[in-house]
Amino acid sequence: MASRDIVQYQAPLSRAFGWFSAVFLALYLVWTLLPILVMFISSFKDLLEAFKIPPVGDWAGVTLFFDFTPTFKHYENLFVNLNFSQYMANSLIAAGGSAAISVILGSMAAYSLSRIDFHGKSDLLFWIISTRMAPVVAVMVPLYWIFRELELVGTLPGLILAYTTFNLPFAIWILKGFFDDVPYAIEEAQMVDGATRFQAFLSILPLVGPGIGAVVVLCILFAWNDYLFAAIIGSGGAKTLSVATRELVQPQNIQWGPIMAAGVVTTLPMMLLGLVIRRYLVAGLTMGAVKE
Amino acid sequence: MVTVSIEKVWKIYGRIPAVKDLNIECANGSFLSILGPSGCGKSSTMRMIAGLEHISAGEIRFDGRRINDLAPKDRDVAMVFENYALYPHKSVYENMANPLKLRGQAEVRIRERVLAAAKLLEIAELLDRRPQELSGGQKQRVAIGRAIVREPKLFLFDEPIAHLDAKLRAHMRGEIRHLQRTLGTTVIYVTHDQLEAMSMADRIAVMHEGVLQQLATPREVYNKPVNAWVAGFVGEPAMNFLDCTLEETGGQVRFVHPTFRIAVTPEQARLLEASNRAQGIRLGVRPDALTISLAKSKEESMTGRIFVNELLGGDMIVDVDLGPERVRVKTSTDFAGNEGDVCYITANRDKWHAFSKETGRTIF
Repeated sequence: MASRDIVQYQAPLSRAFGWFSAVFLALYLVWTLLPILVMFISSFKDLLEAFKIPPVGDWAGVTLFFDFTPTFKHYENLFVNLNFSQYMANSLIAAGGSAAISVILGSMAAYSLSRIDFHGKSDLLFWIISTRMAPVVAVMVPLYWIFRELELVGTLPGLILAYTTFNLPFAIWILKGFFDDVPYAIEEAQMVDGATRFQAFLSILPLVGPGIGAVVVLCILFAWNDYLFAAIIGSGGAKTLSVATRELVQPQNIQWGPIMAAGVVTTLPMMLLGLVIRRYLVAGLTMGAVKE
Repeated sequence: MVTVSIEKVWKIYGRIPAVKDLNIECANGSFLSILGPSGCGKSSTMRMIAGLEHISAGEIRFDGRRINDLAPKDRDVAMVFENYALYPHKSVYENMANPLKLRGQAEVRIRERVLAAAKLLEIAELLDRRPQELSGGQKQRVAIGRAIVREPKLFLFDEPIAHLDAKLRAHMRGEIRHLQRTLGTTVIYVTHDQLEAMSMADRIAVMHEGVLQQLATPREVYNKPVNAWVAGFVGEPAMNFLDCTLEETGGQVRFVHPTFRIAVTPEQARLLEASNRAQGIRLGVRPDALTISLAKSKEESMTGRIFVNELLGGDMIVDVDLGPERVRVKTSTDFAGNEGDVCYITANRDKWHAFSKETGRTIF
């Protein structure tokens, strides 16, 4: 469908508002992007160079910031001495595993909730999302106790399970919305053509592809950026990037160089993921086959 | 090819019955149309035949074999949906190949069948396209193609051409009819468009509020409607209804209406006599069974005033006010009456109908 023209006519007020929004956006960009830039550049700096700070009011001193000899020693340190490749693998497995389980279980649950009517369906839906209403901290103590009894503390399966508990409700809710938009007729046609209901369900998955993409991203982001679960449930055997980075802050010695490098290592994969999946999310699938 | 028997079938949603005690027999190789307005239960009936909905009570049989509990895939039917229901992410070829693939046919045979069907439907050059690149008529052909590749026992059409424009619809009517004749497969065709049902079906099942009204040939449904509702639903422009009383003077029975008194034939008088006359009579007469004239004729006629003329190319429809009621008359385009003119209408007494005012049942 072609997008429509947004008809707008210039008025003094709207022009002023346009300027205001431009200035606001510029400030906002500086506010959000500058820390990332500082992190990125500092990770390539020797400690001494990283702390070269011009005196207050000396704006020309900004160039000092870019005046350094790049070094990879912090990255070397992370991966050679500090065992970060292991932590990165842990993070990947925990995030990916939880995302995979959430998508598989979530899509099946969402399909059922979208297609089948039964008593108390709205209550069930509300209950599912209500499990996300309490803050993580509030459930952490009982959860820890349960996980300890099951000997899941400090293991990757434990961490995956913990993330899935929190990702699944979101996955179900988001995917149900997508399934609701798929006309029944497509899967009915499949079933008349000779498919079982499960085959029919599989056949409409491509139509909820954008939803699955969104769920994967959200689940991975939640798990990847999580600190609390990783620190408590994963402590010991299943250390993730966020926990490992936190441990670089030691009472005697804050290792700024490795911290910056760890920040880059943690952020970069998520940015790449965003780039890769964005095209897919935006492109979506037009439902040309069904007359609206 | 299969004989479909629907026996005492009910469909109940919650507490609301959508189909009530339905009995239909559809002969092997015939074209049955289920006709009715929206909400009459025709789609529920079709979906029960396809296996997409449970049958609340009663039985549906294919060649005498009860199919109530068979999954859709085991019924060997093919269905064409109102909104086509093509798989948007698959090409035309893949869409048409799908039913064969699901049944595990060999790739060579699939190719052969799809190409043959595509050729029959004249969509061979579209096989690589995706559904969103097709026009409405082309999508419809693909949907029909998907249904015929498998050579099923029974075709189910659920208002397949309702969304096409008028010209294409007329074209597709002929094509579907021809296709059915060529393949010889039993067809059940659901529609709300009486013209589609009249022009294509061997037999029409007219449904209203979940109840089968009449099951007969198109000719019979049109000429001998079983009640006033069927008479009013079938035919375009619709039949005119006028509430009348009866009067007998000098051995002659007449319909009496504030604007006319017209005698019935002796045969009709006998039928009226046999019915319970106290109930009052509803006279029904189709626009093409009326003749309009500006000059008073010798025959007994209705006197009215022209409300409006509608020119329909080949002929003309004249709306005439008869007192508080309005009738539509079909006439030729050279009729010279203008709006507001007094006119006289005579009826073809062989083609008019009388219905009981209370039950709506046909008297003749």
